[in-house]
Amino acid sequence: MIATKEFDYEPGEHESEKASNSYLMSLVAIIAGLPLPIINLIATFAFYMGNKNGTYFVRWHCTQALLSQISMLFVNSYGFWWSVSIAFTAEEITNKYIAFILAAIIFNLSEFIATVYTAIQTRKGKHVTWWFYSEITNLICKANK
Amino acid sequence: MEVQRVDMFIIANGKFFESHQVAIVRDRLLEVDDSKWAIIQTLQFKNPTTMLIVSLLAGSLGIDRFMIGDTGLGIGKLLTCGGLGVWAIIDLFMIMGATREKNNEKLQTVI
Repeated sequence: MIATKEFDYEPGEHESEKASNSYLMSLVAIIAGLPLPIINLIATFAFYMGNKNGTYFVRWHCTQALLSQISMLFVNSYGFWWSVSIAFTAEEITNKYIAFILAAIIFNLSEFIATVYTAIQTRKGKHVTWWFYSEITNLICKANK
Repeated sequence: MEVQRVDMFIIANGKFFESHQVAIVRDRLLEVDDSKWAIIQTLQFKNPTTMLIVSLLAGSLGIDRFMIGDTGLGIGKLLTCGGLGVWAIIDLFMIMGATREKNNEKLQTVI
């Protein structure tokens, strides 16, 4: 699922720091807006925009972090509004709801662990690639010519 | 400029620039005429660590952005109370890099 690969070049100290911060961004933003599932995405997107003129290594990891947050948004938003409708309307808790919330928790937890691991490894200058996300990132993020 | 002089500058001011920019800055300085040394010496660079402390203490008021010269962003941050806290958190991670970029821009305008 997660693999450490060789990058095109050896990233510098500050590059590794910035790339690692792109993953930390999503975790720290939880403090600011825990009930809302979109805050993490906004924070990661803002960081991505701030580094869009950065080096290839930084941009690559910002893109991967952003993509992971986008996929989380759909799952979390659906779960959030389903929970809100149960809390404030006549809708009742069903087996489907419990199954969805469990799946969402597992998805969030695995994403959280992967993000923490990637942030640590990227800080050391290692190029950590995620299954599926890294392929899309390679398509989106191109090296400077 | 002389290699010794440039290396002295890099030792003293290297921490104010991105690590991947230091080599480029050194090469550029070597090409620069000796007459610009006086101006380069008088340049005052912002310390990224100081900016991080300012961002930590007064980030939601945009003081950090004002200090590095991003007045527009500073006003935006001030009026939105640090983007309701989110922008202030983002800037905690970005301000050091932004400061180093500004320092590089400042040096580039002279050389």
